[in-house]
Amino acid sequence: MISLLLALAVGSLFASGTYLILRRGQIKLILGLALLSHGVNLLLFGSGRLTEGRPPIFLDKNVYAETIASSLPADPLPQALILTAIVISFGITAFVIVLVNRRHTVTQTDFVHGEYVPLLREGDPFDFSDSSDNVQHDWLAYEVDEVYDSEDLLPGLPAMPESERDESTAMEEDSYQWP
Amino acid sequence: MAVSANLLAVPVAAPLLTAALILLFARWGGRRRIRHQIALTTLALCLNLAATAILFQATAGRGERFVLQLGDWSAPFGITFYGDGLSATLLLLTALVALAVYPFAVATIDYHRDRMGFHPLYLFLLMGVNGAFLSGDLFNLYVFFEVLLMASFVLLTIGAQPAQTNSGIRYVVLNLLASTIFLIAAGVAYGTLGTLNMAQIAQRLTMASPAVRTVFAGLLLVSFGSKAAIFPLFFWLPASYHTPPPAVTALFGGLLTKVGIYTLFRSFTLFFPELLVSWQPILLTISGATMLVGALGALAQPGIRRVLSFHIISHVGFMLMGLAVAQSGNRLAVGFGLGAAVIYLCHHMIIKTALIMAGGAVELHMGSDRLASIGGLVTRQPLLAFLFFMSAISLAGVPPFSGFVSKLSLLQITLDTRHWFVSGISLFASLLTMINMMRLWRESFWGDYNRPSRVPVRILQSRIRQQLMLTPVAVLVLLSLALGIWGGPAFQLSMKVAQQALDREAYIEAVSPSSPISTPGAEQPLVSLQAYFSDHPKAISGMTARPLLESR
Repeated sequence: MISLLLALAVGSLFASGTYLILRRGQIKLILGLALLSHGVNLLLFGSGRLTEGRPPIFLDKNVYAETIASSLPADPLPQALILTAIVISFGITAFVIVLVNRRHTVTQTDFVHGEYVPLLREGDPFDFSDSSDNVQHDWLAYEVDEVYDSEDLLPGLPAMPESERDESTAMEEDSYQWP
Repeated sequence: MAVSANLLAVPVAAPLLTAALILLFARWGGRRRIRHQIALTTLALCLNLAATAILFQATAGRGERFVLQLGDWSAPFGITFYGDGLSATLLLLTALVALAVYPFAVATIDYHRDRMGFHPLYLFLLMGVNGAFLSGDLFNLYVFFEVLLMASFVLLTIGAQPAQTNSGIRYVVLNLLASTIFLIAAGVAYGTLGTLNMAQIAQRLTMASPAVRTVFAGLLLVSFGSKAAIFPLFFWLPASYHTPPPAVTALFGGLLTKVGIYTLFRSFTLFFPELLVSWQPILLTISGATMLVGALGALAQPGIRRVLSFHIISHVGFMLMGLAVAQSGNRLAVGFGLGAAVIYLCHHMIIKTALIMAGGAVELHMGSDRLASIGGLVTRQPLLAFLFFMSAISLAGVPPFSGFVSKLSLLQITLDTRHWFVSGISLFASLLTMINMMRLWRESFWGDYNRPSRVPVRILQSRIRQQLMLTPVAVLVLLSLALGIWGGPAFQLSMKVAQQALDREAYIEAVSPSSPISTPGAEQPLVSLQAYFSDHPKAISGMTARPLLESR
């Protein structure tokens, strides 16, 4: 009975997690990932036996073989696995929340668009003139000192301290002539 | 020279400890501290390369196997590290790629990303990859997967530009789903077989019911295949690889999908050697589709790095084809297919990294990688043009380079086992690769000089940085040339590696997992698994049924 309940719980967690991930909103995405990881944790929990009132403790180490043979103790390993999995999924959820927050700040949108949506809208699959991340090669912007400390490109990041800026640019003064 | 098994800990411990040391002092000071970080990271990478070279010489050269039971806990209880020829080959190539990309990264990564911890993340990624190659335990493999994923998430999105965050979400979610499926597979393995140690899983799977084997193999194929970017599961790769700085793309392109390929090789040869025969049509179909979709997708791409990231997918298809014919009866040799796949893996890791670095250098010079708007770099950067051309024709498979040897051996085995259709597809994909490489070369190097970006790229105005960017590409191209010229000895070595990997009995014997519960002083376990399964034939068909010891 209880294993049936456990199976139903795992199944419903997976179903709702998958549903939430397939939606477009980012917050739903985070919730969906969290539900999926809970589902896996429950599944791991069920992979040990479901026992009742049998602690994984041997009172007398000389007779542990007989203890196991007469009454099965609980299996402590799945709980260790779940603990590890919980820690990992906690860290990853924290990362995803920060990523989503950053994405919301820089793109002002909550939706996860398909990458080729603008192309499909154009109707010409070989016209790449309007693809959003083709036009702006933003990582290059970092290399330029003028953009380095402009606040609108990187809202929230601390500007480079004055002393370090001098040192960093001094290193680049080399003899190479740009053609 | 006798090699201690403790050497297996170095590829994990050296990057981990160095990264921790760097993180301790990372917040102090500015540019000068970053020089210290660079020095420490280089030291760790060199140490890693030395250790893996010794390991490779002992395993692939002399045919030894190393097992390290951490903390001296015997096999199913503790963490097992296992190193044989296959893992040592991948460790050595990983160390080479990491050391080659690092000067490029030092030259091109900007100060902001330096300060945000690029160098320790580089080491953490290396540690995760190395650990995944060494792990002899399914859950431990999951943990190392997560370590490398976490480092790659941050490396992909470090800097937080709009394009990076867009691609970061796709990459993170799809990779997390793959990890979740892998964790489910680990749960199924523990629930039905009662162990997570890979040698013991291999032992017990022979007695398990076909349903368990099929479910387990399917889950592993989906999760590892998603990491390796095989046909229906590759969408995270082209969506994300063109957005981070080129150094990060070169590192990812060299290392990440190869972890998936390695785990596919390892799990199929160790757990399900019989599925390599019965699932051969599935594997061949997947590999053919992967090759074709990767090459055709690259044809439609507008930018250098987008083309190259689709080519990674195409090449994964080639390696999977080698795995699919690994066990088929053929008159060439046992494991010829896997040997060909291993040498293809070596060729791919070396030359793909070189090509992405060369493409990244083009992108840095031009300020854009859109093929339609750049051109004419050959007069301004003749050395870069030469290196790009060399790595491009090596990727396409032109004779003096390693691409020819590896493609020839793969084609030989597929023709010998009479898989005409998939060998035809592989030839067609090679042709498309050639066309794509010519297209890249023509668009970016020939024609009138055309530099679309008006932004001057300061970091390229230093001669030292130019040299730091191009030297590793030259070294990797020379390596590919050497692998092509000494193709015979290299292929013999990779055949040895493949035969060692296919010998699953020796793996189990080397790890020698003891039975979980045994009476003190008795050799036999309390309840032998075989006896239990003969009494209860249906006991392990259910997923949560795990009454391994309940018959007493």
